[in-house]
Amino acid sequence: MNEITLTINGRQVKGEEGDTVLEICQANGIDVPTLCHLEGLSDVGACRMCVVEIEKERRPVPACTYPARDGLVVQTNTERLEKYRRQILELIFTEHNHFCMFCEASGDCELQKLAYRYQMDNVRYPYTLPSLAVDAVSDYLVIDHNRCILCGRCIRACSELAASHTLDFSQRGWKTLVTADLEQPLGESSCLVCGACVQACPTGAIFSKLNLYKGKKDDCQQVKTVCPVCGVGCELNVLVKDNNLVRIEALRLAEPKGPLCQMGRFELLCETRPRVTSPLVRGEQGKLEECSLGRAVEVIAHRLAKAKGGFAGMVSTRIPSETLSLFRSFIGEVIGSDSIDTLDGQSYRIIAQGVRQFQGNGRVLDIECPIEEILEADCIIVVGADPGKTNPIVCTLVRRAVSQRKAKLIVIDPSRDVFPLWTDLWLKPRAGSEGDLLNGVAKILIDRGLVEPVSAELIKSFSQYRVGEALRSTGIERGRLELLAEMYGRAEHGVIIYGEGLLQTNGASTITAILNLANMTGNQVGDKLRVISLKPRANSRGAWELGLAKGIKQDKPKGLYLLLADEPESVELLTRLMGIAFLVVQASYHSPVTAMADVVLPSPIWAEREGKYVTMDGRVLELKQVLQPKDGLLQDQEVLMAISQKLGHKLT
Amino acid sequence: MAKVKVASAWLDACGGCHMSFLDLDEALIDLAGKIELTATPITDIKQFPPVDVGIIEGAVSNEHDEQVVKDLRANCKILMVWGDCACFGGIASMRNLFDTDEVLRRYYSTESTARDSKVPSSEDIPPLTKVRPINEVVKVDCYVPGCPPSPKAIHYALAELLQGRIPVVPSEIMRFD
Repeated sequence: MNEITLTINGRQVKGEEGDTVLEICQANGIDVPTLCHLEGLSDVGACRMCVVEIEKERRPVPACTYPARDGLVVQTNTERLEKYRRQILELIFTEHNHFCMFCEASGDCELQKLAYRYQMDNVRYPYTLPSLAVDAVSDYLVIDHNRCILCGRCIRACSELAASHTLDFSQRGWKTLVTADLEQPLGESSCLVCGACVQACPTGAIFSKLNLYKGKKDDCQQVKTVCPVCGVGCELNVLVKDNNLVRIEALRLAEPKGPLCQMGRFELLCETRPRVTSPLVRGEQGKLEECSLGRAVEVIAHRLAKAKGGFAGMVSTRIPSETLSLFRSFIGEVIGSDSIDTLDGQSYRIIAQGVRQFQGNGRVLDIECPIEEILEADCIIVVGADPGKTNPIVCTLVRRAVSQRKAKLIVIDPSRDVFPLWTDLWLKPRAGSEGDLLNGVAKILIDRGLVEPVSAELIKSFSQYRVGEALRSTGIERGRLELLAEMYGRAEHGVIIYGEGLLQTNGASTITAILNLANMTGNQVGDKLRVISLKPRANSRGAWELGLAKGIKQDKPKGLYLLLADEPESVELLTRLMGIAFLVVQASYHSPVTAMADVVLPSPIWAEREGKYVTMDGRVLELKQVLQPKDGLLQDQEVLMAISQKLGHKLT
Repeated sequence: MAKVKVASAWLDACGGCHMSFLDLDEALIDLAGKIELTATPITDIKQFPPVDVGIIEGAVSNEHDEQVVKDLRANCKILMVWGDCACFGGIASMRNLFDTDEVLRRYYSTESTARDSKVPSSEDIPPLTKVRPINEVVKVDCYVPGCPPSPKAIHYALAELLQGRIPVVPSEIMRFD
């Protein structure tokens, strides 16, 4: 990049060719007011607040869209510019309803802040004040068109960051409106409810029902933490007031994981399950009764002694690594069992088996690339995964690659197209035959010479293989298989994403097929393959790396200590727990799981906990305590240590 | 030094701006030595005496309001307006989003607790007009926005006037809510 020198307000400043005048101003601490500009979005010069005077330009130009050149002489704060800026504000204020006293955004509003800055104590133009609709159909989001200044930040966030392309302008000129799809209510549109538009909106035009009147940003404490839901590891900025959650935002909206998703931005605020607030033991009547921690521990100790082994431990992977590692010691040393598993342990075992078949013993999880690689992809295969449900940000990145890089998108799924309207090719193999399909693709690529010579041995192993076998077992026509092979084989950055859909029949061999395919086509970054497995929980990888997914040896252990925390129950879990003679559940919420337990112990929720999470691509992030634990509730570690102490062990 | 004569009026608004003025608390005692209030919303004086400073709270929303504004403007040297209704239209101007008859009908018959109520009509009741901020009707010299303006902002504006300066509320204390 070529360095350029500009004179701004009489000062010599440096920038790079390709920068806009605004970027150079901001990099050099020169304050230029903006409204339609937002870091991370393209600039459109819609609001004209950032107008600057440039020597030899006939009239003021918006700094956000003006390309900087060497030798430019710029003025940013002349009397004329300040006059124009105030005039622009007045025009915006007369256009729609911008009366602050009954607006949710008052206090957090960028338009209001600018009006204060320019001491706009009256407007000199008549108001137009049309009566516009308020769209409150969506569960979480409201669009009040009356508050909209048509800056287009929501539209750009929706298309450029979330790659949803739901919002756009409809109508023209005077009648322009931000609209979802073809003038659908937002709640009935293609909106994915990620909430990027809420965070991008400078006024009170798009807001969430969940945040309404709970508090202004300035009155809140802001805690930087990580999302506790899935394994992606989106960084959050959580707003808290009086020990209550007010709002969840992305720490950095402009980053690939910035749009967040419905689960992280909204659903965490909608918790309605009743909390477990005290230890409970099953009394003589068969009912769970409140008791002291001491009494609960006595019951546990008694049953442990009586059973003489045969206990097992199971743990949620929404729990940070420190607690997990203490839980491992607790089960091993205190309970005296080597039967330990995570709720998602089966996934790990299948992935591990698949990887070992590919390369013998070695790194299992480390073989995969960071999820940001999706953004660089020109071909993406999604097999046995539904990222929209499990890891929505992965979905966002896929849509970005498709819409911004024209990546080809292939879905391999027996029952449904998980990216409707986005896929280039949807292949429906018979369930369990995904691995055959991929081996068929590999064979086609080998036959056509579309593989790298680096994997000669692997290629040799296919010499006896016939594409016909794949066609028979998958039930897919040759032409479609060849189409897939061409798309993936000719791609420079082919990424394969797989998920829990594979973890049933033939899961491990399918995973091996995926790794083989990526390997022989040279889809590698550094020492990692362009393959991503979707991990369901925030700390799945952390738990698996700690060796907690060993598996429970007996089908029905004599007793089970389940550290469930705030993880929602599933039918699968309930089935596994049925018929276990003695069940201890340490959980944040009452649920059918706690109803099955013999002893229930309280546990904090995500916001009350802290510790390390390992994201699905191996980054270590810090979960911070956001709220003080309810009613002096003990942390998981404290409960485990109290039990250990009672049983005569010292846990560290 | 002779006291500065001040008259104030309350148009289409909630009265909160005058309440905020009363919230100046002990500062009122000091102020009482410097200004003389000749007319306020509770004096019910029909004709404003000539004053130095006229103060208006509220928007212009009927013919009577319009007359009051013009009368006060004619009888004061400096006209100051208080609150978002007078400065911008504010809550009062929400009525502009609807048809006047519809507003009256809704107020008197659909939401009223009285049965068989009719929209009152008499030649003594001034007809509603479009709701306007004061500067759409007469020239205004200074503005103290806020809903209501904070006592701090009102005090600042009065103090500036007493010093012989036309006040512009500084950014730090300006509020629209």
